[in-house]
Amino acid sequence: MKKYDIISTIFWFGLSIFVMAVSYKYGLGSFRTPGPGLMPFFVSLLLFIICCYLLLSLLLEKHRENEIVKEDHSQTHFWRIGVVLVALYTYALLLETIGYLVATFVLLIILFRMAGYKRWSGLLVSSTVIILITFFVFTYLGLRFPMGILKWR
Amino acid sequence: MDLFSGLISGFQTTLQPINLLFCFAGVFIGTLIGVLPGIGPTGAISILLPLSFGISPTSAIILLAGIYYGSQYGGSTTSILVNIPGEPSSVITCLDGYQMARRGRAGPALGISAFGSFIGGTFSVIGLMFLVFPLAQAALKLGPPEFVSLICMGITLLIYMAHGSIIKAVIMALVGFILSTVGIDLVTGTPRFSFGSPALLDGIGIVPLGMGLFGISEVLTNIEQPEERVIFQTKVRNVLPNLQDWKRSIGPISRGSFLGFFLGVLPGGGAVISSFVSYAVEKRISKHPEAFGQGAIEGVAGPETANNAGAGGSFIPLFAFGLPSNAVLAVLMGALIIHGVTPGPTFMSEHAEIFWGVVASMYIGNCMLLLLNLPLIGIWVKLLKVPYRILMPLIVLFCVIGAYSLNTNVADVIIMVTFGLVGYMMRKFDYEGAPLIMAYVLGPMMESAFRQSLIMSDGRFSIFFERPISAVTLMISALLFVSSWFSYYRKAKRKISQ
Repeated sequence: MKKYDIISTIFWFGLSIFVMAVSYKYGLGSFRTPGPGLMPFFVSLLLFIICCYLLLSLLLEKHRENEIVKEDHSQTHFWRIGVVLVALYTYALLLETIGYLVATFVLLIILFRMAGYKRWSGLLVSSTVIILITFFVFTYLGLRFPMGILKWR
Repeated sequence: MDLFSGLISGFQTTLQPINLLFCFAGVFIGTLIGVLPGIGPTGAISILLPLSFGISPTSAIILLAGIYYGSQYGGSTTSILVNIPGEPSSVITCLDGYQMARRGRAGPALGISAFGSFIGGTFSVIGLMFLVFPLAQAALKLGPPEFVSLICMGITLLIYMAHGSIIKAVIMALVGFILSTVGIDLVTGTPRFSFGSPALLDGIGIVPLGMGLFGISEVLTNIEQPEERVIFQTKVRNVLPNLQDWKRSIGPISRGSFLGFFLGVLPGGGAVISSFVSYAVEKRISKHPEAFGQGAIEGVAGPETANNAGAGGSFIPLFAFGLPSNAVLAVLMGALIIHGVTPGPTFMSEHAEIFWGVVASMYIGNCMLLLLNLPLIGIWVKLLKVPYRILMPLIVLFCVIGAYSLNTNVADVIIMVTFGLVGYMMRKFDYEGAPLIMAYVLGPMMESAFRQSLIMSDGRFSIFFERPISAVTLMISALLFVSSWFSYYRKAKRKISQ
């Protein structure tokens, strides 16, 4: 746990320095006429101070790692998260090119599989039904889905 | 408009078939997400917000408010039958509700919880009607320094009540403020943190942010380690509590209504804290405190009443000051702003139709919820058996469609997925999303009031301490902050010395 806390604090520490540097570029102005960078600079400065304090107290803490019982990751499927995230990013990037119907069909199959749905027949039927229902309902509500490769020329 | 004519016009608005339909849809979805552990009202409102774009602001707010107070009803069902709280505000109901179910008294537990919720919910709507106007009048006299102080107090209270580490909650609030500065600066027109991306010029939308942090991250957590829900095998019968149950519950219900409502009004308060305080009070004043945790009906009636009263009460700071008191209302405020309605002191006069429509819909919604949760309880029990492997892809699909429908732009989907990953990492590292979303929503208001205050005072920070309301509010915030920091410091010191 201590290791994880140090990692997350270093991340926020880095973020605070980055935001401070960028805010400074935007211009801090003065207290009489505050510039666009003043508020983010001020907030990131606070974040920086807190991270320094937290990091220091975490590094001074000696024996905490021994007290923490290690989490059981034997039943954890981290790879599934990776697959879902890659599928979602790819879906977003390809949605307008290949269209809602095809892209969402593939996405739903991946999601159902990752969620533990095993029967292929049920999976194909439910994905098709869900896509058609959402397509017609949301189109009726005024949303224009990209048709992509199925576009009528 | 006086209270009576306002209420009449509110009922006229709500009783229109389309608004009745949205009211029903709201409380139905609210009960559904309350029953299903996982997606909470914050996530559900974020997911369904894009659906409300095509409808009138009144109908949209009736729908979204219904989801919030409806979720408080549904949350108790899983607490009683599965021992898993559907909502954080129903955590405490697990203690006695599940024990009652194990003893074959699931029916009365569900029944008293529904009746208590109805009474608490209705009481809070009456309180809301009477309290919101004097508070809005008072709010009109507040200037930018007071608003800065009030926002500080709201955030501090939320941090103070954080479930986990105080320091992590502070970090989350600061990150929320930083995120709120993304986009064009409204005073100077300078684009900030957009790095040349047109999608970020308007800032990060509340919808992709909320969906990512509360929807996608929930799904990712469940994929990683799917949990099997064990439903207690008992027949739900006799949902109407008997005379003895009523005698024991009437006190906790009355106290829960008052406590819940007033705790809900406080910035940072709401349904969660109300239910915990009510349980503590009931146990403290009970002649048989040892019965608590063993299936005492008072331990179900009090907290379930208080969380509904708290949910209703928490609308007051939103409507009167334009300040949301918790993460759900922060998202709801975002929804109001998207619909072109700015909550605040002038909200009730400028948008009387929306205000009275929402108030009347709360009365009607509470009646609908009583019907949904008593005669139709069997449906919700069956819904508990819907496997997550079916729900999860649907949640993701609704998030994707919702994000895309905002601007028909895939950039919003990418932002949502990215915040989904951020939310998942936050859960892994024990960071809470509530302070982040609150600070994110209040950030622009805070920045504008802060800059106005400095301009007004010619750059002097003493303006925040010279004005009495601002000074007192800041003092309360400082006390709360110091007390929570002190407890954190003591814990850290103890660990270092060990």
